[in-house]
Amino acid sequence: MNRRQFFRGAAGAGLLASTGLIKQIPGMLVNLYAFSGNENLSKVEARFYKQLPDKEIECQLCPRFCKLGDKERGYCGVRENMDGKYYTLVYGKACAINSDPIEKKPFFHFLPRTNALSIATAGCNVNCKFCQNWEISQVRPEQVEHYDFPPAMVVDSAQRYNCPSIAFTYTEPMVFYEYMYDTSKEARLRKVRSVVVTGGHVNPEPLQDLIKVVDAIKIDLKAFNQDFYTNYVRGELKAVLEAIKIVARSKVWLEIVYLVIPTLNDDPSEIKMLAQWLMKEVGADVPLHFSRFHPQYLIQNLPPTPISTLERAHGIALEEGLHYVYIGNVPGHQAESTYCPKCKKLVIQRVGYTIERIELKQGRCKFCDNPIPGIWS
Amino acid sequence: MANSRVVLVRGKGVLKQGGDIDQTKLLEIFNRGFRLLMDKQNPEDSLQLLFSVDDTVGIKINTISGRMLSTRPEVALSLAKLLLKAGISERKIIIWDRTNRELKDAGYSLNFSGSGFRVFGTDTQGVGYTRELVSHLNIGSLFSLIQSDMVSASISLAVLKDHGTSGVTAGMKNYFGAIHNPNKYHDSNCNPFVAELFETDFIRKKHKLTILDCLLVQYHRGPSYHPRWAEKYEALLFSLDPVAADFVGWQLIEKLRAGNSLPSLEEEKRAPLYLRTAERMGLGKANPGEIQVIENEV
Repeated sequence: MNRRQFFRGAAGAGLLASTGLIKQIPGMLVNLYAFSGNENLSKVEARFYKQLPDKEIECQLCPRFCKLGDKERGYCGVRENMDGKYYTLVYGKACAINSDPIEKKPFFHFLPRTNALSIATAGCNVNCKFCQNWEISQVRPEQVEHYDFPPAMVVDSAQRYNCPSIAFTYTEPMVFYEYMYDTSKEARLRKVRSVVVTGGHVNPEPLQDLIKVVDAIKIDLKAFNQDFYTNYVRGELKAVLEAIKIVARSKVWLEIVYLVIPTLNDDPSEIKMLAQWLMKEVGADVPLHFSRFHPQYLIQNLPPTPISTLERAHGIALEEGLHYVYIGNVPGHQAESTYCPKCKKLVIQRVGYTIERIELKQGRCKFCDNPIPGIWS
Repeated sequence: MANSRVVLVRGKGVLKQGGDIDQTKLLEIFNRGFRLLMDKQNPEDSLQLLFSVDDTVGIKINTISGRMLSTRPEVALSLAKLLLKAGISERKIIIWDRTNRELKDAGYSLNFSGSGFRVFGTDTQGVGYTRELVSHLNIGSLFSLIQSDMVSASISLAVLKDHGTSGVTAGMKNYFGAIHNPNKYHDSNCNPFVAELFETDFIRKKHKLTILDCLLVQYHRGPSYHPRWAEKYEALLFSLDPVAADFVGWQLIEKLRAGNSLPSLEEEKRAPLYLRTAERMGLGKANPGEIQVIENEV
């Protein structure tokens, strides 16, 4: 099974077989979700755009500021100018629906040992050459199968399947902003939390609005230099750093992931600058995950990241003073676990997405009572 | 190396009041265009130099802008009939674009499996895109199976338009409609993406002919239709050199802009730089000194 079949299967099955839910509830999908095919797109007016003369519009959702004439779509491929009004084509049109461990996002300081109902629509506002999910992120909504899955139904499903949170993930949630926003609002009313997994390539105004309705945001910082963003991401580092600062200053829980790609963004001096910047702008308590790269999409000529490279990055970040530095995509590595920065004892033991034990008491280290930041219940 | 030839044939009255096409005049334009391009007496002889009877010929049209500003069905069907006369069987002539919806909106009648020329979009059930990515320089795309598998030879029958990002959209950029992710290639005036996409095997090895529908030329505020800046130019432009064709198309847009007191595309910082890139890549000529332009009228 290739990745595209996997995602289609995921959408087609509603919730992934690997969660066991399908086995428990045969035929659930047919009852729950209306197969929407790939033609039936939404036509919901988008937020954050400006009308220009002659039926042109300027999208103000992300730093691209796409200027579009009638019938044109933005870089994301999912927002279209129709006769001078701007519409999202993917509102309530989920192309992937799964129940995932929250650790998979990864969130390590947010409701450990729980599952998040995880959804995505097609589309993305950057084009990372190493994208893991390009079959759904780098396509137009007509090119993937999707399901009618409106906000209330998303929250219903989260509750039905004991998911205390909903994750907007896999592709770039900012491109389905309106869907994410309305779902998060509905979820909050019904005591379900919302988490966002994003590249952070978004303008301040929409982000400021979003943080009023979500509980946690994980930002993928792809590198700490603009050249990499220009050549491998097609985005703006400055905008991502600004997004990190905005979330860090809010009440929303923040975690950072840095995918370490051999020779492209693994220079120790770059890692050091990143860690220093995080210390200055965000603080020592933000979890930082160094994830292992595997050849994907348009970068097939590089090997997986050597463990030693990840360990070096991990060491640099700790040395710079960050308290919670992790190594990801290396199941069984000791740096998957959380250690109390005060007494150095292990407080959450992880193996892959499994939590082996938790030594916290009301968010504090069981051994020395040091508070461990996060959302624990 | 010999100069590249570009033929621009105008036919006053081909675009009748109300937008209908004068078929006789249109055919005259085609006849004259092919004669001047290929030095052959009739279009069939010209087309036989480009295509073999074994070819399946794709006519890639541009229907993104609706009825008013897409490749006109009359133009595409006239070309298909000429191919038929040149010996290509009608089932091996495919008029196509990316979606059936856009084809219908532009006035085409779809025909996937019936008799006659085939007219359909990549999104037709059972068609779709290649399973594997084609990666070439800055391009990483899935190709329409029509371009990759179904056709052996290709004609870009595009509309000449101003374009807010790339400056000009014409024959080369028309192939953006042959891939799944054209929205990813609009940064930096679509440069180098237009040229690099054209250089992929599925296009460069199959492309034989560019014809630009210049019956109505959107010279400002394109690629959308704005009647205020759409000139009834009533011409078709022919070339075997895809870069030269677009270069001459660009000059035509500049002429219309100047005539309407608009700044040049260069001044608006959206000159089609991809043409110079394409020239550097050896895909054709973008130097006026190396392009022979033949203008004619029927």
